[in-house]
Amino acid sequence: MIAAIRPSAWDFPLFLHVLGAMVLFGSVSATAGISIAAWRRPAVVALRRSAFWSVLAVSVPAWVLMRGGAQWIYSKEGYGGNHDPTWLGIGFFVADIGLIVLLVTLGAAFWWQRSGNAVAARAVAGLSCLYIALLVLAWLAMSGKWG
Amino acid sequence: MFHVTGAFLLLGGGAAAAVLNVRAWLAERPSEIALLLRLIERIAVPAIGLGSALTLVLGLWLVHHVGYSYGTFWVWAAIVLWVLGNALGGRGGRHQAKARHEAERLAAEGDASSEQLRRLVRDPAGNALSWVSGLAILLVLVLMIWKPGQ
Repeated sequence: MIAAIRPSAWDFPLFLHVLGAMVLFGSVSATAGISIAAWRRPAVVALRRSAFWSVLAVSVPAWVLMRGGAQWIYSKEGYGGNHDPTWLGIGFFVADIGLIVLLVTLGAAFWWQRSGNAVAARAVAGLSCLYIALLVLAWLAMSGKWG
Repeated sequence: MFHVTGAFLLLGGGAAAAVLNVRAWLAERPSEIALLLRLIERIAVPAIGLGSALTLVLGLWLVHHVGYSYGTFWVWAAIVLWVLGNALGGRGGRHQAKARHEAERLAAEGDASSEQLRRLVRDPAGNALSWVSGLAILLVLVLMIWKPGQ
């Protein structure tokens, strides 16, 4: 039901895009949960390592899959950047701003892993929650075809 | 829109559970293993439960609303895989709960790991249930996109 009417040539890029977005949402949620659980115990080694590796080994590759799939299907659909629908603009905005949020989260997770600092753990928690909110906005806009 | 939200919760919850499961596998101390397995129950399981309900209920409604037939291959195959994925995931979850109880017991008794805990956390049969469950749900996504037999 994800997209009812479209040429079959769009299926694979759409699959990559959706799969990447879903794995990205899951891994960022795991990072958020880990860093919130570390609120009162930021020095726990397993939590520090888990947050860092979750972002580096899962979220970043998932972002590449999501963004690559998006660009591929965008080129197949023949949009040119002028008069693109609102939902598409929201999707690209969240994807591109999201990379900055993700990289800052990765930096904070690296700092937390190295130092065990509570401020770093809380920065990871805040940034990953912010990113979850952005991802929810993007999937609602794109699946509901806003505008 | 809410059907897709359900799919995000279901597959995203599965991805979160996979990340936490692998990290529990790699953790050393029972208190850390217990903490990571508890996070699966608090984050991933509610997302998977809500996502499962939304995808099935709204999916069945959409089949009726859009005018697809319930006898079409991709529709009934998706329902079969959905049931299989949830059944296997439920059994895998019971295995993880057993590992978590053992980790919590050891954490309360001095936080020294044991061979039994390592076996429970790394049990190939128990973990396979959860991973095959994830694969079944991933195949549902494949069916939703390609719609074979339509």
